[in-house]
Amino acid sequence: MNRLGFSPPVVAACALLWCSMGRLGTAETPASAESTAVAAQSPSVASPATVTNTPDRGAGVDDSLVKTFRDRNGGLFEGWSKPQAVVVVTGELDGYIEPCGCTGKENQKGGLSRRRNFLRAMTAADWPLVTVDLGGQVKRFGRQSEIKFQSIADGLRTMGYAAVGFGPGDLRLPAEELVAAVAPVGDRPTPFVSANVGLLGLDANITPRFRIVEAGGMRFGIVSVLGDAEAKQVRNDAIEIVPAAQGIEAAAAELKKADCAHQILLSWASPEETKSLAARFPQFDIVATAGGADEPPAELPTLPGGARLVELGHKGMFAVAIAFFPDSQKPFRSQRVPLDARWGEAEDMISLLATYQSQLESLGLTGLGLAAVRHPTGRRFAGSASCADCHQHAFDVWKDTPHATALATLEEQKPRRDGDPECLSCHVVGWAPQRYEPFEGGFAGMKATPHLAHQGCENCHGPAAAHAAVERGDVRASVTERDRLRGELALSIDTPEGKQKATNNCLECHDLDNSPQFDFDTYWPQVEHPTPPSEAEKAK
Amino acid sequence: MRLPNAWVVAGVAACLGVAVGGGIAMLEAASRPWRAGDFSPSGARPSGPSPIVEVPETQFAFGTVGVDAKGSHEFLIRNMGDAPLELTRGATSCTCTVSDFEQAEGGSNHAKVVPPGGTTKLKVEWRGKGDGGPFRQQASVSTNDPRRPQIVFVVEGTVIPISRAVPKTITLSKLSAGTSEQATVRVFTFGREPPMVDSLTLDNEKTAQFYSLASAPLEPTEFAAETGATGGFEISVDIRPGLPIGPLRQTIKAVFRLPEEVTIEIPVEGSVSGDLALVGQAWDSSRESLMLGTVSSRTGSQTNLFLTAKGPHRAEVKPVVRNVVPDFLEVVVGEGRPVGNGNVIRIPLSITIPPGSGTANHICSPQAPAGRIVLDTGHPDSPTLTIPVCVTIIP
Repeated sequence: MNRLGFSPPVVAACALLWCSMGRLGTAETPASAESTAVAAQSPSVASPATVTNTPDRGAGVDDSLVKTFRDRNGGLFEGWSKPQAVVVVTGELDGYIEPCGCTGKENQKGGLSRRRNFLRAMTAADWPLVTVDLGGQVKRFGRQSEIKFQSIADGLRTMGYAAVGFGPGDLRLPAEELVAAVAPVGDRPTPFVSANVGLLGLDANITPRFRIVEAGGMRFGIVSVLGDAEAKQVRNDAIEIVPAAQGIEAAAAELKKADCAHQILLSWASPEETKSLAARFPQFDIVATAGGADEPPAELPTLPGGARLVELGHKGMFAVAIAFFPDSQKPFRSQRVPLDARWGEAEDMISLLATYQSQLESLGLTGLGLAAVRHPTGRRFAGSASCADCHQHAFDVWKDTPHATALATLEEQKPRRDGDPECLSCHVVGWAPQRYEPFEGGFAGMKATPHLAHQGCENCHGPAAAHAAVERGDVRASVTERDRLRGELALSIDTPEGKQKATNNCLECHDLDNSPQFDFDTYWPQVEHPTPPSEAEKAK
Repeated sequence: MRLPNAWVVAGVAACLGVAVGGGIAMLEAASRPWRAGDFSPSGARPSGPSPIVEVPETQFAFGTVGVDAKGSHEFLIRNMGDAPLELTRGATSCTCTVSDFEQAEGGSNHAKVVPPGGTTKLKVEWRGKGDGGPFRQQASVSTNDPRRPQIVFVVEGTVIPISRAVPKTITLSKLSAGTSEQATVRVFTFGREPPMVDSLTLDNEKTAQFYSLASAPLEPTEFAAETGATGGFEISVDIRPGLPIGPLRQTIKAVFRLPEEVTIEIPVEGSVSGDLALVGQAWDSSRESLMLGTVSSRTGSQTNLFLTAKGPHRAEVKPVVRNVVPDFLEVVVGEGRPVGNGNVIRIPLSITIPPGSGTANHICSPQAPAGRIVLDTGHPDSPTLTIPVCVTIIP
């Protein structure tokens, strides 16, 4: 007997009967070539009254970890019965193929690996699934972003996405890279869809205008567009973009023929522009938008026409699940899903990350198109060890801080990240942190420049090669010149201007993306290194 | 005849009822507008004394807040029940938001017991961070009211930056070396006074000669739609032909006063390329080769590529096949069509290895060098285009 008081044969008979009804209710896929109907990750329909195992964690993740993150970020699917079908919406990955930051990966949200395990948990719970992505896989331009986009596209295919839109960052990539990345693999159609964006022209038909999928006996029509304001920012002549409304109109007529139970609009546009599209096309009952706040709201707001507006937050930290139930009083529910450590890591996505990292490493800085740029001061770097000759106290403080082992933290990652310019820029000396490129004479690898490893003195004080050479006596200089070189590197927080300058330096790496808790007054005591009187006297 | 077990009969009957009922409900739900459903949580009605939590508001829209400025709001929580209401401070969405209970003498700011009929306040603080834009943070409170075990309080609004450039970066994907290009950036400002532009400079001296920069103030109608903006200016960028082929890296530095001095940097990124490019699933741009893999001569294969042409001579590009290796490769050149605004012409190339072809090894190794497709393009600067083909054709 189970806790409901039915004997196993009764439960089995019930399940069989219900299962067969569900199958009878499953519509056949239409044969329209344009609609590119594909089967979503949809197992058979089971009893909606059955409370199933809830997809609240990755496989093998223990209760204590789940509790930690439930307390921190909220519970998931609590009190839910098994839905008839679930639409999972993701998007705005913004290049964050994995979480990155100073607070430790376990304290951050996002990444393809956790997303993969979340979707697996849904599938393991036997929830019929339609997975769609708004787009916006990358934000930057260059060879690294091209490789990253390809890796993410591979990951989304592996995860079985039914539809993926394009964000403006994606469309800034060269068309040849985009076409190769979005191409179908084997007999599976491309997951990429857009009603108003055509790689090499809309009539080239490289991606379909819309998609129809089925899950749980329900048919879903999906349309993706790039908003008009965002389209103006895409300067890529090899891509045709027509107004979003024009694209939707063309797709809507086809969707109408398919008699979908639900229509989904993936709109890469500001919330205002998306709301305007939703008002004009009321047939969409789920409308996902870009451009909201960092965090999506806990509940989906309802638009004047009745559609539910889905915001996703930024950097792929959340997914939003929208579930449909055969319950006239409560036909749907939604759940904002923080992709935190309770989902664990997925081996196939870790393997994909390893391949990505290995591609970066094999290309090297030159292969990634990263030529060293001149430092604004025009000076060169000496390395932190040079500073120790005179500034022993400061060096001793520094070597006991995490800054002194910053590169090691990248080497210790699995897969290691020390070939990734987006990581290196804040873990070595002599890079422009926000531009992910080296300065002339900056770190160029452990073989060539081991003395510039880790987050060292010169990233705050400035390049010190000339100063060090003069102080060591390698180069002769007048007292005036010596003092000028010293003065260029001095950094005091005793004045508001000096403190602001120091804070700005810190914020180059401790930015909102990677160190959201950063506060100068809290962090500074951990690295404070005033010049002791003995050293100050000696310098005279 | 043996009669079925009564339990089984009852069970099957019950199942049938549940299934049919459920099926009907499913059909009803499918035909009913799903938007009519409500989200309100429903819980079991407790028996005996019980706390009843009531909150007049769970959402506060603060309007706007400047970067680094702080704001706060107190949410009222009432106990309308007849048993003590236990509240425990829960998760906040990030450290931008701090939630504290109204301090009671000797009490904890993480937990609170509210007597029947009593009230307390939850204080939520926030600080504007980042580059500005929509802001939303939340704080949750757990309760012992079984109807409402968790309450989520939300504060939202807009963070107003000091200035905002739109776009933040100028990206020119595959700029033709032979053509000029224009771009504009609007800088919206949020200071007490309209901006006074002091200087516009370029940080990469090697390519600065190809750029011209100019600025002009924005009219009030041009910044009216930008929430909180008090002024702005537009930077016009003209890029002359002749930039070297390869990655494009430049930074525009704008210094202006509000009246305090502000400096913003606008990266110009992208790449400068030749006028002809190949695009297609089998085209490997890093190897610059057509990768056809291993093909059975029995079945053959067919691959589509596009040749794209841009720049001032794009209309002159009319490819003609000069020769191919292996010689049984069939290449058909389609008709060129303009893409979008017509700055790029797309020309389809169909490459076929016909069934029954001979075997060949052009796997792109020193022992088996690449095959090739050689096209006469019609482009005056690139009259010939050689496409390396990596393929092994087996019996």
